[in-house]
Amino acid sequence: MGAFAFSDRPLDPDREREALADPACGGYASFEGWVRDFNDGRPVKRLEYEAYAELAIKEGERIVAEARARFGVAHARCVHRVGPLALGELAVWVGVSAAHRGEAFAACRYIIDEVKHRVPIWKKEHYLDGDSGWVNCERCAAAAPEAPQGHGHDHGTRVAATASVERHAPHLARPDYSRQVVLPEVGEAGQRRLSAARVLVVGAGGLGVPVLGYLAGAGIGTLGVVDGDTLDASNLHRQTLYALADVGRPKALLAAERLRSLNPEVDVRAYVERADRAGLASLATGYDVLVDCSDNFTTRFVVNDVAVELGKSAVLASVYQYEGQLQVLRPGGACLRCVWPEATQDGLVGNCAEAGVLGPVPGVLGSLQALEVLKLVLGLTTPAEDAVVLLDLGTLETRRIRAPRAACCAGRACVRVGAATPEPEVELDLAVLDEAVADGYVVVDLRDAREAAADPAPVRHLHIPLAELLAEPSRLDSKQRYLLLCARGQRSLAAARTLRRSGFMGVWSLRGGLAARRVT
Amino acid sequence: MTTVRVQYYAVLREQAGRSDEEVATAAATPAALYEELRARHGLTLARAQLRVAIDGEFADWQAPLNDGARVVFIPPVAGG
Repeated sequence: MGAFAFSDRPLDPDREREALADPACGGYASFEGWVRDFNDGRPVKRLEYEAYAELAIKEGERIVAEARARFGVAHARCVHRVGPLALGELAVWVGVSAAHRGEAFAACRYIIDEVKHRVPIWKKEHYLDGDSGWVNCERCAAAAPEAPQGHGHDHGTRVAATASVERHAPHLARPDYSRQVVLPEVGEAGQRRLSAARVLVVGAGGLGVPVLGYLAGAGIGTLGVVDGDTLDASNLHRQTLYALADVGRPKALLAAERLRSLNPEVDVRAYVERADRAGLASLATGYDVLVDCSDNFTTRFVVNDVAVELGKSAVLASVYQYEGQLQVLRPGGACLRCVWPEATQDGLVGNCAEAGVLGPVPGVLGSLQALEVLKLVLGLTTPAEDAVVLLDLGTLETRRIRAPRAACCAGRACVRVGAATPEPEVELDLAVLDEAVADGYVVVDLRDAREAAADPAPVRHLHIPLAELLAEPSRLDSKQRYLLLCARGQRSLAAARTLRRSGFMGVWSLRGGLAARRVT
Repeated sequence: MTTVRVQYYAVLREQAGRSDEEVATAAATPAALYEELRARHGLTLARAQLRVAIDGEFADWQAPLNDGARVVFIPPVAGG
């Protein structure tokens, strides 16, 4: 019995519920969706559901699997009716059993919301006045304003009662790679290499969006997406895969959803998590090429180190305002640590949120990353190997700086990756800042004067901007405990690490900064 | 005195207020050159956080600085 199914017969919730029973589970939650007698102010007498079963079942099973993974529930299942239904009939049923009620409720809610949003199911309402219409298809609401391809029914406007089901039956075109296959460097053999390739993309933001889009379009066989963030409205000027209605949803799941509709042949795997060394190392074993599209040095070095350790190729890029840097790693070649022997700390130079960026800048760099991945998979040579390519998109100047493998690594495994030790824990998670003061910490706001004035820290504190504190650490008392804070927790983390190295062992950083305190 | 062509990237370009310039200097190494320019333009990044490239190749901070060299100061960037 699959985790997601369609039924053209009435559903039996009691039987479904029994199938989820488990002595290890202390909680069970279910949702039932019924046929309602009114929609949009019009009396409804009956309705019909139809689904594109092949795609819908796959997507439904993915949703249930995501719910089980995200909420750690023991059992979950969703069944949806198709065909004609009368008023009051059970149209969809979701059931979840889990150790505790919290995750059972959350997983149940997640499944029904995602099913409504993602699974291609169409509803035709028949009204009391004899009219009928296809309505309430949330996939369309979430997609572009124009009628999406492969989703062929009129929408938003009611269609005449004579409209046949056939006219609305969705059909999906098959992916067509002919425009790239015709290239002598690709051909049928190259396309087979692309279809067999497994690429893991870390970060689904400004760089990741073009990488993912082009790789899915090219028919890369397996595409993994790692991103622990949810979509913010400020992302949309550069992250064109997403829509305003998606704000607040996990980017990895959103990206996966869009990529599957772009190319259903690609096996897209979403990982809603922040990439740490252990997690990424275990994920990366299942992939051939890693692509770093993260927005911070910590993650970039993690991707580099995992690639070197596992002998994988990797394509790294980053942007700053109008500029970008691109580096391609091949096993045995130069790596990020050959260029930056001392792993750079976040917070010391800006990221997109702090320094600002025009949307097309990461778009260009991400497109280059996608191109380099395709070249790697197709076995084409690239001058980006053992070099850092600098792009100034203000002046449109490109510079390629040769970066040979560091002499200390020659002929051996990268000694720098091996020697990299994890930073000691210097971050504190605090929901209530007053607790830190009560515990004896002196709170220090590191933001500049303009930021601090616009949004004062909601706790008694000292204000010492980052640059001043680093220039004059003696303003701190080495025996006192300090909690440093900034907007997002990156500058405070960098400062805490730097100060710890100078002997101020009582310095801590507020994890996630003030932004993390605002999540409701 | 040697004359070199200096190019700045990212936050250095912002702080120097230019993307490149010709510099006549008594500095014998890129390290000495950077310290000279750091004082002149108020650059905040320490040398340890940067790389220098001379004539298209990453170079040691103590490499000799020849007349006509193209010197590029590169800070790491993180945005994505």
